[in-house]
Amino acid sequence: MKRYVILIAYEPWDWSSATPAVRQGYFDAHDAFQHYVDEHGEHLGSAALGDADTATTVRTGAGGERVVTDGPFAELAEQVGGYYDVELPDLDAAITAARLLPSAYTVEIRPVIRIEGYDPQ
Amino acid sequence: MTPDEVLARTVREEWGRLVALLLAQFRRLDLVEDALADAVEAAARTWPRDGVPDRPPAWLMTAARRRVLDRLRAEAMAARKVPVLVVDARSAAAAAAPMADPGDLVEDDRLRLVLMCCHPALAPEVASALALRLVVGVPTPDIARLFLVPEPTMAARLTRGKRKIVTAGIPYAVPDAADLPGRLDSVAQTAYLAFTAGYAPGSGPDLVRTELAGEAVRLVRVTLAQCPDEPVLQALLALLLLQHSRRDARVDDVGRLVLLPDQDRSRWHHDEVAEALSLLTRMSPRATSSHAESYRLQALVAAEHATATTASDTRWDLICGYYDQLVALNPSPAVRLAAAVALAERDGPRAGLAALDDLDAALPHSHRLPAVRGELLARAGEHAAAIEALEVAIARCANDVEREHLTRRRDELRPARE
Repeated sequence: MKRYVILIAYEPWDWSSATPAVRQGYFDAHDAFQHYVDEHGEHLGSAALGDADTATTVRTGAGGERVVTDGPFAELAEQVGGYYDVELPDLDAAITAARLLPSAYTVEIRPVIRIEGYDPQ
Repeated sequence: MTPDEVLARTVREEWGRLVALLLAQFRRLDLVEDALADAVEAAARTWPRDGVPDRPPAWLMTAARRRVLDRLRAEAMAARKVPVLVVDARSAAAAAAPMADPGDLVEDDRLRLVLMCCHPALAPEVASALALRLVVGVPTPDIARLFLVPEPTMAARLTRGKRKIVTAGIPYAVPDAADLPGRLDSVAQTAYLAFTAGYAPGSGPDLVRTELAGEAVRLVRVTLAQCPDEPVLQALLALLLLQHSRRDARVDDVGRLVLLPDQDRSRWHHDEVAEALSLLTRMSPRATSSHAESYRLQALVAAEHATATTASDTRWDLICGYYDQLVALNPSPAVRLAAAVALAERDGPRAGLAALDDLDAALPHSHRLPAVRGELLARAGEHAAAIEALEVAIARCANDVEREHLTRRRDELRPARE
């Protein structure tokens, strides 16, 4: 089994104006994804995130100071909107699972790695 | 054969098989290739002294396997996470196992290797390089030369590819029947990219790269042997064989480019043409992907050229028909340019010129477009305009052989101007 974080990105849109049928389509797609993961691996965690305009970024400035700014890492048309943390047999399984998510999403599959010499408490 | 020749031939024919077998056993892409390279090096040293073994591939396999086991043992010692005893037991068992004869390999393993190297999660230029290295055993310096990049760049590209396979978990597996055709399309595109790299204009004349393009043909052959009814592979192999069959006639004795109508047809590899034609007639009638259909149509065009006794016997009406279908399938500027050339042959230079009209915006840097326009203008008797177009083509062309050809053509037109 390999562990992947599946990052979900999409162009911000007005969820509150979505019709019940549209919403159900999203819910069904997520259910299908989770069903596939449960069947082939393990669902370790997941979350939906607030819109990018609610993000706060902390980065290190030129003088080494930690600067806090409003907004996400990068201003792009697509913004990260959620993630799944899963264990699946291989990348093909992760791709199959990702294809089950709502078609409006762009999905990035990232393998989780272990950092040699660091054991989290 | 001398020991060196036996070794070279064994490496050429068995490399992919041995990689596949070692991967099936150890699943350690990071160790397998180095171990096999070490084994080949050891063979080069010892075979001339001790004699060639009875079964050269089996010898290489044993030597490579021993090296992988040494590395695994060293890793375990360093990490001290796996008790040494366990590894020793495992390696003792592996060493005691009957010598695997690569001939016994389930052929599936080779397909798995091809599919892993050509996975769509790998960038196309990475996949092409990996497939040539791991499946057909082309040495890294040769792959670098094929793709016109420095050797360290190619070595880094291969390393990056292997790391992605291991880290991202690209499987060493054959997918479901439903997903297999799409994956074989990726294999075909990967092989085609490697093939065209060999014919892509470099900064100078380089016939070795044309020979290296033949390694891409081997990649398709290996894959087709696993999936003999796969239309995309049949069509691609036919196309590559037809294009490659003309390699010896493309350049004359002093390295000048020879265009298709002027080529010495006796220098074409007619055995390869015959094989391609038989593939095309044998092709499965079942529904094919658009990739397969595109390769098939291109192969049919190439087949018309290959079977015309002389250039003037070429059946341009059939070729134009194939191009119409190709343009309908994929109206890319390159396809439309080729279609315009065929049209000019069938209906005259004016018809061809008219078909070029709306291509300038799509091909602003191409030297081929003004080169074709110059040639058609010359045939239409407009020599001044032809020279002007050829000047544009010469200025844009980066390949010495092609530029020299264009310059020669321009100079031929000059006296006619007076």
